[in-house]
Amino acid sequence: MPKVKVFSTPTCPYCVTLKEFLKKNNIEFEDVNVAEDAAAREEMIEKSQQMGVPVVEIDGQIVIGFDKEKISQLLGIKK
Amino acid sequence: MANKKYDLIIIGGGPAAIAAGIYAARAKINTLIIAKTFGGQMTRKTVSIENYPGFKSISGADLVKKFVEHLQEYNVKIVSDSTGVIKKIGKTFSVKTAHEGWFDAMAVIVASGADPRPLEVPGEKEFIGRGVSYCTACDAPIFADKAVAVIGGGNSGFEAALALTKYAKKIYILEYAAEVKAEESNINLAQKSKKIKIMTSVEVKKILGDKFVSSVEYQNRRTGQAAALDVQGVFVEIGSIPATGFVKDLVDFNERDEIIIDSRTCATKTAGLFAAGDVTDVQYKQIGIAAGEGVKALFSVANYLRK
Repeated sequence: MPKVKVFSTPTCPYCVTLKEFLKKNNIEFEDVNVAEDAAAREEMIEKSQQMGVPVVEIDGQIVIGFDKEKISQLLGIKK
Repeated sequence: MANKKYDLIIIGGGPAAIAAGIYAARAKINTLIIAKTFGGQMTRKTVSIENYPGFKSISGADLVKKFVEHLQEYNVKIVSDSTGVIKKIGKTFSVKTAHEGWFDAMAVIVASGADPRPLEVPGEKEFIGRGVSYCTACDAPIFADKAVAVIGGGNSGFEAALALTKYAKKIYILEYAAEVKAEESNINLAQKSKKIKIMTSVEVKKILGDKFVSSVEYQNRRTGQAAALDVQGVFVEIGSIPATGFVKDLVDFNERDEIIIDSRTCATKTAGLFAAGDVTDVQYKQIGIAAGEGVKALFSVANYLRK
């Protein structure tokens, strides 16, 4: 199983869509709330070099935003 | 290979598109919805929606979820993609998507809504995601303990600023005109907040920074004096522009780039091509109105297909 970490905020609709997409495809992931976790916020900004959510880390690879195509490709999700 | 053919293609994922989709399914019209994402501008709302009948107070994200769940009760084909171009050959429309190829239909409803209007100043594009944001609802928490500017003293600007007070340490509302234009209650709340400073007659000139945004340069339109504010975030809330890039030749536009429709039927100048919601020149932009316009367009489609 790939190691998947989602950096998100509770108020961000694209974060909800992203997490629902992962759940639908039975992908286990760690969900980090950067609204509350200041250390995770810094980690996200450092790793993604930007300040927007969602960010997803898949085995060390960073994807910014709900980029369905790229996430599917990295996780081997077929259409 | 021939393109997959439908009776109707609906372009968009907001309330107009979803309402049209539900009515189309119930009318047994073979329908495809092409939408990049669902919810449209509702997903970017920073405050709860409190004027949609049946819901006293609901977040944009939750109302979108309810809309989409309702749509999915029906057998409507959905393609998650952006639309490249629409062509009409004879009586058939061909719609090109970015990744999923071409689809054909006898009728089309354009309900692609509107995107946030960019400020169009130097530095804006370069710093998107690195301080510049068009989605306060998404990104506000990232700016905890930082100073930010909200560009635009309209209602959405005030809503954004008030949402930001939970996180940011200082919020400047920058308005181009001499006066702000927002709901009285929002202006009162903002004036009471120690974190918010309202500045009028401000023309933003430039967004500056290194890796991330560090300041905004502006000119005071009363005095002509130039100055700068140290901010790490810039939230652009100056309205929206209709998303119509793919439909240029088949419709007429008004001076705001909205698609001109027959207000009785949602018809455009091209037979079989209808438009609904915020993408059109409908006078008021509301969720309830967009949904109603979607329904109106669908009835016109049903009439058109019967001919």
